[in-house]
Amino acid sequence: MPDDGGTDGIAASLRDVFFSYDRAAEFPDHGPGPEPDPDSRGGLVLRDLDLDVERNAVTVVMGASGGGKSTLVRTLNAIIPSFIRGQFRGEIDVLDRDATTRRTSEMAEHVGMVLQDYEAQLFGTSVESEVAFGPENLAVSIEAIPDRIETALETVGLADLDGRRSPAGLSGGQKQRLVLASVLAMHPELLVLDEPTSDLDPRGTRDLLEVISELAGATNQESAMANGPDPDTIVMVTHKIEEALLADRATLLAGGQVHREAGVREIFTDIEALEECRVAVPPLVEAFDRLGWTEDELPLLPDEAVAAVRQRGLNWDPPARLGDTLPGVPAETGERTGEPLFEIEGLIHEYETDRSAIRAVDGVELTIETGEVVAIVGANGSGKTTLAKHLNGLLTPDEGEVWWDGRDVTQLSMTEIGQHVGYLFQNPDHQLFAASVREEVAFGPENFGLEGDVLDERVDRAIEAVELEPLEDADPFNLSKGQRQRVALASVLATDPDAIIFDEPTTGLDAVQQDRFMDLVAELNRESGLTVVMITHDMGTVARYAPRTVVLDDGRVVDDGPTREIFATDDLDQWGLTEPHVVSVSNRLGDDEVLPALSVDELVRGLGGQP
Amino acid sequence: MSSASLYVDAGTPIHRLAGRAKIALAAGFSIAALVFSSPIAVGTVLGVALLTLLAVGGWRNLRRLAYIVVALFVVGIVVWPAFTPPGGPVVLSVPFLELTLHEVRFALGRSERIVAFLLIGLTVVTTTSNEELVASLRSLGVPFAMCFALGTALRLFPTFLGAAGMVRQAQEARGHDLSAGNPVQRLRNYVPLLIPVLMTAFRQVSTQSMALEARGFDTRRERTFYNRRRFEVADWAAVALAAIVAIGSIALSTLGFGTL
Repeated sequence: MPDDGGTDGIAASLRDVFFSYDRAAEFPDHGPGPEPDPDSRGGLVLRDLDLDVERNAVTVVMGASGGGKSTLVRTLNAIIPSFIRGQFRGEIDVLDRDATTRRTSEMAEHVGMVLQDYEAQLFGTSVESEVAFGPENLAVSIEAIPDRIETALETVGLADLDGRRSPAGLSGGQKQRLVLASVLAMHPELLVLDEPTSDLDPRGTRDLLEVISELAGATNQESAMANGPDPDTIVMVTHKIEEALLADRATLLAGGQVHREAGVREIFTDIEALEECRVAVPPLVEAFDRLGWTEDELPLLPDEAVAAVRQRGLNWDPPARLGDTLPGVPAETGERTGEPLFEIEGLIHEYETDRSAIRAVDGVELTIETGEVVAIVGANGSGKTTLAKHLNGLLTPDEGEVWWDGRDVTQLSMTEIGQHVGYLFQNPDHQLFAASVREEVAFGPENFGLEGDVLDERVDRAIEAVELEPLEDADPFNLSKGQRQRVALASVLATDPDAIIFDEPTTGLDAVQQDRFMDLVAELNRESGLTVVMITHDMGTVARYAPRTVVLDDGRVVDDGPTREIFATDDLDQWGLTEPHVVSVSNRLGDDEVLPALSVDELVRGLGGQP
Repeated sequence: MSSASLYVDAGTPIHRLAGRAKIALAAGFSIAALVFSSPIAVGTVLGVALLTLLAVGGWRNLRRLAYIVVALFVVGIVVWPAFTPPGGPVVLSVPFLELTLHEVRFALGRSERIVAFLLIGLTVVTTTSNEELVASLRSLGVPFAMCFALGTALRLFPTFLGAAGMVRQAQEARGHDLSAGNPVQRLRNYVPLLIPVLMTAFRQVSTQSMALEARGFDTRRERTFYNRRRFEVADWAAVALAAIVAIGSIALSTLGFGTL
């Protein structure tokens, strides 16, 4: 366990730290200055921040998007202020070194860093050269490098990979573990992980978390090899609760300051503090808090919750049993109309690669009705995006047929189908180009021939729907990720489509932004019957918003049915997917005939509480 | 979907050569393409480069760059006659345009040359991993920052291709039609593509350079090179061949063979 007191127990200490990405920013002489808006850019990102990071422990940093989490951890290896030169003031001491006067490459000898975007962190053309890159930069002798490569790959569970293999052919999860191995091969004392799993599918996430939790276990052992691949101290930024719970300590950021710093348990049962920092309250904590349990009794994980419920002898009254009329999903979306909107028959699509063709979609049959909300889930590379891109004709089938509203999609031009079937890409930055939000939103409808008052009205309505009226003249590039995502949605809504396809719509958004975005989509579905097809890894979103789930594996539909029924089976695991905590608890409380709760409300109700 | 690099991992004899030997070969054949100017002589060099590229598994890279290859060739053919003194019999005569045999041969030779350079370079990057290329250039005395910049550019190339494809689809889905309108309008049609591609590229490059620093990359410091290949008999043979090609082509062209 971490020892208390004394500078020996502190890996990093930050005092009176101010930072702004704007070089002309001015810092107040006294105190932190006015609080910034978490949704706007510019201004002070870190405001008079003080923090001690404990040695031999794992600390997780959480807070709103744009709240300064990444900025904070980037001070630990001198990326700020040495590499990113904004306006900086303060004292930063990392592993007994003044990090404000050192270069990032000097700090690299002691501080390792893994970022979210694994593609941007892979430099080598082979697994071996990738891991060797860091040690080479540190001028480690050539004789010592093979051993470092072997140990690092073994630590992250990639020992079986052929060292000569190109990283390009690895899965996302393997790539991120390779990045981690490459950092560990430099033998850092402090490891910084900045949203390491945000771009990974559930399987990749699980594998990486296993490695991180092993490293975490090693941090608490004094006997951890000095100068070995295991870091003494880990600092991790994350939005995900299951990752956060691996840590010993948690730091909540709000308004560029440390709002609260304490043990993980204390932080994640402090609902008020979590909400103030726009961090998702762990669903089980929320549920049992509503049942009136005290802070010390609140369970964080499904195991604890199930044990506690049984111990108290609480009765579990499930929302439904097999064979009952199925209740809808919590968001009350996706009313069935019986009118097919999309019909896919025998769809096959292949991509060519260096050596052979890869069959991304392999014989898919699927019908989606008008007004449905359908989640398409599956591991990375299971064919979700390829399948979805056939729905509006972005891709053409190699074999099979795709019909929209009774018409063959391949026979329709993009102008004909584009205004009826909108497609929202995962990364809003792949489409934003205009100088103002209004201009950006008008682009689609203009392309489809709208003009004058009709155009203005459509644009007004779309901007209003995503609540961006005050920012309609703002430059989209200056908006936060959540806002840019909403601009992209407005630009699709403005064409007044019958259906929208979402590709990972909530990646990179914080808890509040995610809820706001999905509630908006749900409202559009309920009120105007918008058909929604969403590709997502977020099983919590699926449970709450999508009454129907289609599971893809290796290009084939392996499961297709009511979300509640699919979540009642043990099948998710074999497709590399994980069930949300609420679902997991209710599944384990009931017998085989029982269907699970999909939301905190349903769990609370089933345990006799008032939702 | 992950973007593959230009390097194709295979075990051909050229793959097995040391990076420096390949650079020597590329230099030898480039000199040949440079000193010759007749379509037949330059075409021979081009043919050798093309066959080599195909033999080392570079078909996909060639296809990826096909647009650029064809564009360079066509532009060369169209533009060069304007800068060439006419000579010889007239081969084409239409209103406002008269082409002589000399102009055609000259333009053809120049266009072949530029494509030959491209294919030779492509063969090197198809058979040499980035690390090896960087290490080889470094050992030839090129400053490390410059070597690494080249390596990074090569690595980013497929990333940009991927981003460009994604952006094109995103705008297409919003009803954007690249081919609509008059020539000026068509040029403008690229704005909704260019800005997101450039912004994506910019973000990618800044994340990447940050990740590089965080991995201890520093051009101001000495580093080690793991896995550098030793120079072997085959490599010396390749260097000898390169020298023969270079010296031979210079000698032949000086004697008037293969030139216009």
